[in-house]
Amino acid sequence: MSFKDYDKKTFIADAARDFAARRITKREFMKKMGIAGVGLSAFSAGMLGSTRPFKGNLGLIGTEAMAQDATMTAWLKDVGSKFKGAKIRYTSEATPPTVVLDKIKKEFTDPTGIEVEVEIVPLEQVLAKATQDVQGQLGTYDLYYLDQSWVATFAQDTIDPMQYYKDKPDLAMPGFDWEDFSKPLVDGLAMYDGKMVGIPFDIPIMMLMYRKDILEKHGIAVPTTSEEFTAAIKAITEAEKANGMYGTGLQAKSGHYSLECDWTQMVWNAGGSIFGADKKFKGNDEAGIAGLQLYQEWLKYAPPESLNSTWDGQFQMMASGQCALVESWDEFFPGLDAADSKVQGLWMPAKPITGKPLRPISEVGFGEVPNRAHQGGSVLGLSKYSKNVDAAWIFMQWACSKDVMTRCTLIGGFAPMRLSSFTDPRVNEKAKVGPGTTRHLELVKWIIDNDMASEPDMPLWAGFSNNEIPVNLGKLLTGQDFGGDAKKCMDTIAAAIDAAVADAGL
Amino acid sequence: MSANIASYPDPGTERRPWLPRWLASESPIPWLLPAAALMIVFGIYPLIYAITLSLYKKNAATRKMVFDPTHNWVKILGDDRVWNAIYNTFFYTGVALVFQLTLGMLIALLLDSDRKGYGVLRAMMTLPLVIPPAVTGMMFLLMLNGSFGVLSRGIIALGLLPTGFSILGTADTAMAGVLTAEIWQWTPFMVLIMLAGLRSLPKEPFEAAAIDGATAVQAFFKLTLPMMSKVIAIAVLIRGIDLFRAFDYVKVMTDSGPGTATETLTSYAGRIYFGNADFPYASTVALLTLIIVIVVSSTFMKLFRVKL
Repeated sequence: MSFKDYDKKTFIADAARDFAARRITKREFMKKMGIAGVGLSAFSAGMLGSTRPFKGNLGLIGTEAMAQDATMTAWLKDVGSKFKGAKIRYTSEATPPTVVLDKIKKEFTDPTGIEVEVEIVPLEQVLAKATQDVQGQLGTYDLYYLDQSWVATFAQDTIDPMQYYKDKPDLAMPGFDWEDFSKPLVDGLAMYDGKMVGIPFDIPIMMLMYRKDILEKHGIAVPTTSEEFTAAIKAITEAEKANGMYGTGLQAKSGHYSLECDWTQMVWNAGGSIFGADKKFKGNDEAGIAGLQLYQEWLKYAPPESLNSTWDGQFQMMASGQCALVESWDEFFPGLDAADSKVQGLWMPAKPITGKPLRPISEVGFGEVPNRAHQGGSVLGLSKYSKNVDAAWIFMQWACSKDVMTRCTLIGGFAPMRLSSFTDPRVNEKAKVGPGTTRHLELVKWIIDNDMASEPDMPLWAGFSNNEIPVNLGKLLTGQDFGGDAKKCMDTIAAAIDAAVADAGL
Repeated sequence: MSANIASYPDPGTERRPWLPRWLASESPIPWLLPAAALMIVFGIYPLIYAITLSLYKKNAATRKMVFDPTHNWVKILGDDRVWNAIYNTFFYTGVALVFQLTLGMLIALLLDSDRKGYGVLRAMMTLPLVIPPAVTGMMFLLMLNGSFGVLSRGIIALGLLPTGFSILGTADTAMAGVLTAEIWQWTPFMVLIMLAGLRSLPKEPFEAAAIDGATAVQAFFKLTLPMMSKVIAIAVLIRGIDLFRAFDYVKVMTDSGPGTATETLTSYAGRIYFGNADFPYASTVALLTLIIVIVVSSTFMKLFRVKL
């Protein structure tokens, strides 16, 4: 199958999934189907359900409160007009900041005359496209959206942005303020081997979310530990299953990165780690097995469809009242509080649950950081092979500037990268139940500062986390193999990973 | 009149003055060049490139490619997932073909009539075919959702599955779920081919059989099937090759899961390519798929004496 063919097929699937997950409206969905050449888009839309709004607050675009600062426009005109006519490209997942940037990019393109093409594709395609680009040093993409699990892989292919800022004073945005980026994010997301690979771009992070009304109904206190969480979801499942509600909802889709994210969180919370200091896989040690076994237990108290759900499906379970306690991505919150949400105001944020004492960093390998809250952040990297590197650099500074990042947070409803965004009055004003809520962000900031966990920084991780680990976990959880034996499953993964690491000479 | 005819130039030998000599010659080469060029660019070059890639070993950490012609081919033999994918691909192809062929023939027999309204019914058969498979996959993904899917709920209401059962999330049933979408979409293709075949059959043998007192079932097995054998063989060949490359439904509905329960050769190649970025190994799996398709289809054509 050609890359283009693959693109088209996954474009359709992704658009449909976005539509089902409320990220795009029916109008946008049908437009995308039209682009993809779907003659029967209306039929398809009918089959897929009614209009569902975007999780964020796109209606804010164009309002006075969201207008770009005049000094920013002047700077863009002054510095960017030298590159008028240049075209820069970047490819990204449909992550909230990318979606918002794509909508407001006119604020950049108008004063500079630089054309910006944003390709929004599924995460795996972003990886494949970036990999092809760097393999051939093609410079097709000027900027790379890099998931935190790929930062090590692409470290050699990007320009250190902080260094470039110093090296090119004529292009440096005044008041960019590098210190304004949350330090744990810079360390946890952007740094590899002493180099800044890119600028932190988004930070979905796991937190506890609970249905206040359900917990109150059953007299259950908000759980703070794994044991309390397990007891709570068990009690809720027993009491509410007849009503179609389970204790929790999981993103346990076999073979998908979402399952790997859930698994790592379980391992860390059980006092384990993915790798040891000797760079051997440790998911099959006592702590790793305990974590996985607890996850197997949790599956009993989750809708069976959890086994076929990624983060989208998990969000749907929360939004449709199928579960009451979830430890997952903070960026679900704006959707849960959306104007047409059936559960508006019912979900509450809380600190991640705690488990066994964390494994110390000195005992883990490849820069892994075990902690209570798995982060799924990303950075925006400037390609070393770009043919329009300066134009792309101006865009990158604009996209990651204080003003744009804050406005992206307000429009997209996700956690900001910059400290100043957290204290921005416009952001604080939205800290209440309702569309575009930011009421979870205070807690998110606390989690980033105190509980943020990071997966290993190693070049093979992208493959392991998308293939070997979630595929074998899927075999275990769905009963395809291993006979329910977590140790057997982990030993199989350990053998594959240790062999690949040794083969790569790491 | 005859003199006039004699004065016309022989179109086979007379060169048109506005055409260059090489283009006006009888040689077929100039006329084959465009097609050959397209074939080379879009068929042969990618194939040679894939073969070349398969002879390299890629270090995932350094991204360096080292010429090691046996590495990927040895690896493929010891890769359990390849063998599982081969099994799944044959299973998927076989089951889908049996259902599509049987249902296709049955529906075609029902629609093979000139009575009023049948034309509309036959035209409606094309509807599923115009929906992109990825969209069909999404439709069935939602309809088979254990919590709210209409198909799942129907099956659960019949007491065949427990409440909330996830058909696509269970290893034993996921393949059946994916096959449902595949069969729904492509059975009409078989119906149309069978209908075309049925409507081109001569009427006389059937009239003679009826006079001799043959039943409809006897006529079907003794006349229709033998006379349709070539049409059926070609339909099976075309669909079989297509089914062997199954990707869309698997990708959209299960992403090869649960575990590897629905992983086919093409979806496995895709996962290695797009997930692990191991282009040489992905090319090797793709080439293996091609080899299997060529061997199986050639054998089939020999066995059933199909000439294309």
